[in-house]
Amino acid sequence: MTTTSASQSCAACPAHNLSNLKKLGVNMTSWDYVIALAGNPNTGKSTVFNALTGLRQHTGNWPGKTVVRAEGGFQYGGSRYKIVDLPGTYSLLSTSTDEDIARNFILFGQPDVTVIVLDASRLERNLNLTLQVLEITDRALICLNLMDESRRHQLHVNERALARELGVPVVPTSARHGEGIPELLQAIYEVASGQAVCKPHRIAARSKELQAAIQRIATNVEARFPGLTNARWVALRLLEGDPRIIEAVRTGELAELVTSKPETEAMPKAAA
Amino acid sequence: MISPFTSLLFAAAIGGVLLLFFWPDSGLFWKWKRGLASTRRILVEDALKHLHDQEYHGYTTTLSSLSGALTINRDEAAKLMARLQSIGLVKTIGDGFELTPDGRKDALRMVRIHRLWEKYLADETGVAAIEWHKRAEKLEHHMTRQEAEALAVTMGNPTYDPHGDPIPTASGKLPPRKGCQLTDLDVDEVARIVHIEDEPAAIYAQLVAAGLNPGMQVRLLEKSPQRLQFIANGEEIVLAPVVAANVTVQRLPKEAETNGSFATLCALGVGEKGEVVAISPNCRGQQRRRIMDLGVIPGTVISMEMTSASGDPIAYNIRGAVIALRKSQADMIQIKRVEEAVEK
Amino acid sequence: MNEAATVNSDILEEAASLRWEIGDNMHDSLIESIYEDAAKIADKVVTKIGEKPRFNWETTLDKLLTSRIFGFPLMVVMLTLVFWITISGANVPSGMLASVLIDQFHPMLKSLAATVGLPWWLDGLLIDGMYLAMAWVISVMLPPMAIFFPLFTLLEDFGYLPRVAFNLDNMFRRVGAHGKQSLSMTMGFGCNAAGVIATRVIDSPRERLIAIITNNFALCNGRWPTQILIATVFIGALAPAALSGLVSAVAVVSIALLGIFLTFLTSWALSRTMLKGEVSSFSLELPPYRPPRILQTLYTSLIDRTIIVLWRAIVFAVPSGIAIWLLSNIQISGNSLAEHIINFMDTFGLFIGLNGVILLAYILAIPANEIVIPTILMLTVLSAKMAGVGDGAGVMFELDDLSATMTVFQAGGWTLLTAVNLMLFSLIHNPCSTTIYTIYKETGSVKWTTLASLLPVVMGLVICFVVAQVWRLLF
Repeated sequence: MTTTSASQSCAACPAHNLSNLKKLGVNMTSWDYVIALAGNPNTGKSTVFNALTGLRQHTGNWPGKTVVRAEGGFQYGGSRYKIVDLPGTYSLLSTSTDEDIARNFILFGQPDVTVIVLDASRLERNLNLTLQVLEITDRALICLNLMDESRRHQLHVNERALARELGVPVVPTSARHGEGIPELLQAIYEVASGQAVCKPHRIAARSKELQAAIQRIATNVEARFPGLTNARWVALRLLEGDPRIIEAVRTGELAELVTSKPETEAMPKAAA
Repeated sequence: MISPFTSLLFAAAIGGVLLLFFWPDSGLFWKWKRGLASTRRILVEDALKHLHDQEYHGYTTTLSSLSGALTINRDEAAKLMARLQSIGLVKTIGDGFELTPDGRKDALRMVRIHRLWEKYLADETGVAAIEWHKRAEKLEHHMTRQEAEALAVTMGNPTYDPHGDPIPTASGKLPPRKGCQLTDLDVDEVARIVHIEDEPAAIYAQLVAAGLNPGMQVRLLEKSPQRLQFIANGEEIVLAPVVAANVTVQRLPKEAETNGSFATLCALGVGEKGEVVAISPNCRGQQRRRIMDLGVIPGTVISMEMTSASGDPIAYNIRGAVIALRKSQADMIQIKRVEEAVEK
Repeated sequence: MNEAATVNSDILEEAASLRWEIGDNMHDSLIESIYEDAAKIADKVVTKIGEKPRFNWETTLDKLLTSRIFGFPLMVVMLTLVFWITISGANVPSGMLASVLIDQFHPMLKSLAATVGLPWWLDGLLIDGMYLAMAWVISVMLPPMAIFFPLFTLLEDFGYLPRVAFNLDNMFRRVGAHGKQSLSMTMGFGCNAAGVIATRVIDSPRERLIAIITNNFALCNGRWPTQILIATVFIGALAPAALSGLVSAVAVVSIALLGIFLTFLTSWALSRTMLKGEVSSFSLELPPYRPPRILQTLYTSLIDRTIIVLWRAIVFAVPSGIAIWLLSNIQISGNSLAEHIINFMDTFGLFIGLNGVILLAYILAIPANEIVIPTILMLTVLSAKMAGVGDGAGVMFELDDLSATMTVFQAGGWTLLTAVNLMLFSLIHNPCSTTIYTIYKETGSVKWTTLASLLPVVMGLVICFVVAQVWRLLF
């Protein structure tokens, strides 16, 4: 499991510096990997997006700025990446448009990497969304943003411990100042190419009743769709009555998530 | 040119007529439009619902129960039943009536739409509790199956209506009744309210006035043929047994009781802290979910940061973020005060 | 596939029946579990280095900006400053753009067309119609927007705007709307289309619709010049010379305030009728203050807001330029089409205290309010058959001299009532086509777009009617 090793080795490594990054803006015709950018509102998601793509998406200091999905692209280390900035949400459990878009893209859009942007100075509240994303996908990494602010607040975040707890790579950044972007790129590359294998943290439901119900449905889902990595989450959504997931189970669309290797051309009809 | 005075008068008259016709809900136009909807269909649908309700509670439907429930006379009730029988929705059994499988399907569909509406009115609009049932009774007759399903989807396919009644699934399944009446509890027993019957309206109004809601915990203090005294969410309530009988509860083990009465978030002054104990059951639907997603859950320590210049929204520090809530929302979050440790 | 569907539906049935068993508090229990995990993890990985996690200047600033005594005055000062910088700062570049695009470039194009030998109608259509409409829109619209949007964005980036919403929420709550509507409204003073887009930060659909429908009552940049001109020419002239500037300024501000009042009134009426209900979920994060990055802000707000809005306005203004030219140049039985329409609408127009020219100008200017004044002037000259003023049929113009402008208005039979009602109607009429299009894109609904377009115009006509009748009763 590669965690934060990138951040140490790469700073000195000339092969992986920013000159390797080619910002493509929106001029994308084809791509090798799709990256989703998720996170709470006001964590600097759009700043990270802009730092990677060279686009100047407006980044207001105002929660919920990115209401529509923004897309852009960049080239790094010979591969072309398409990056999708999802709406900032506090959670993925409710039924608002933003959350539907974010949730459905992470599941049905099958991004090769989901980058979760966290506010290092307010880790606990940000972890709510993080843990939910990690239930859906195991190809994720954490961009621990706003490190400058957390330093200002006299907080120290142990990113190695965080990586260990969450089971995915963690890259500390401060995107406003361009800090940590080379390391972030390297980590994206490692997860996308499968060099870094994630074993994400899974939530333990507190109520026994709920736990048992999830288990029962998940077993059935797994039996019907062998190889599905997030059967537990699907079970959970079924218990929540998520119409989109119910539809996917009914039509058997869920099976495509197992068999097809990310065919990124097919964009989901998010929140149609 | 017409004199200004006459034209103003004319305009006022036209405006008055328009208002008379199009005033929301009570305007003549809307009344006329509602009148167009076939009253016969409404009667049929209401009859099916009544039959189902009786069956669910284990009673038989008779002509007198039907005429009582639908406020029609016995002749009309008899005609109605004859009609239902002729289209195969009802069959006679003894001196009462029973739903045929087809009739049950239709009845469950009506029950589903009715309860979805109640849920919607409770969760997504600011309509008062006493109005839910009345409005749902009207709205349910003007809805197609597709519209009902769309309504269910926007609410995340709810399973229970705000009175605690299960909502039948789209394919017409309904779980059996559970729980017992509040009057069945013994003194000192602890239970959770699972259902509050919304009919008759007069009794329901009393229960609403007492602030009772499904999900609340109650403990019986005293029981006599005249009165029932119990604690619900920290408050002492006295009800007549005939009123209390409309509350269905499920017994809980005694240690589950959360005790004491609580302050709400509103009570905090600037800089003071409180630990969340519970979110009131009156906080429903999206609003409840949003508040919880923000990190307001039992155990969270919240500190009051500042009030806005106009006094109402109040900003709280919730798990590191400063979030403004309206007083009406903050009032639904129950807390216990946390004394400041030796900081500062 | 069919088989799969029936097999899979048993999973769904099972899930559905389990949901009843779990009960209604599943979401509660789930989110509690997640936060419990989150708290555990955060506990392990975060250490506080020093005590004193609070930053004093931030708390002090927050206290000041949201205090009961200083909160509102500071807000008013801040926003007035923004508008003042916008209006006064835009004057000079607007004048420069107008002199280059209209006074210099337009004659050059005309002479070029003459040398090439374009037929008169093509020359008129292209240069007097299309080009001039575009030039007016750019010179009137671009400078204020290029100033207003970056200023607004700076306030936004700094984190002040959420505090404004925080302070104003109480008033919006009383009319059944959302505090964040204060922001889309403020934005609407810059441009209604941008204001409508800004309603995206309101997450509940009902309150968002209210904000969209009422946004038009915020007097946008395109309408300020009309207000200022009419107020100066007619209302300022009533006062003694020394006070005329002040009086006309007060008149314009009153119109803007009337707009805010109508915003509240309409929100209140909507939230009690068509969009009934209480605020479904209100929560507003007050983010930490962050120093804005000025250069990037200038760049992004220019690209994101100004250019897009300007582009849309031009796209809509060009066809209306063509229409204006055609109407004033197509002759039927001795008179232009425009004159026929004006005569037709004149009775009704005069009845409600306006006139046929103004009504036609507002129909033609649906695409962009910026061209209202030039169109009115041109049409007035045309219908009053004045000689020696303006540049001919279908050529929009403005006059540098206020008294010359007054002469044109007087020739058109204008009175003080006409002026007052024009100011009212300029505030209360249908949104411009850019805004209508934006409303349609944002709501995706023909019904709400129609309502948002028709409601203000009906209100405007009614108000003008009442004012005219009362005026005639009194004077």
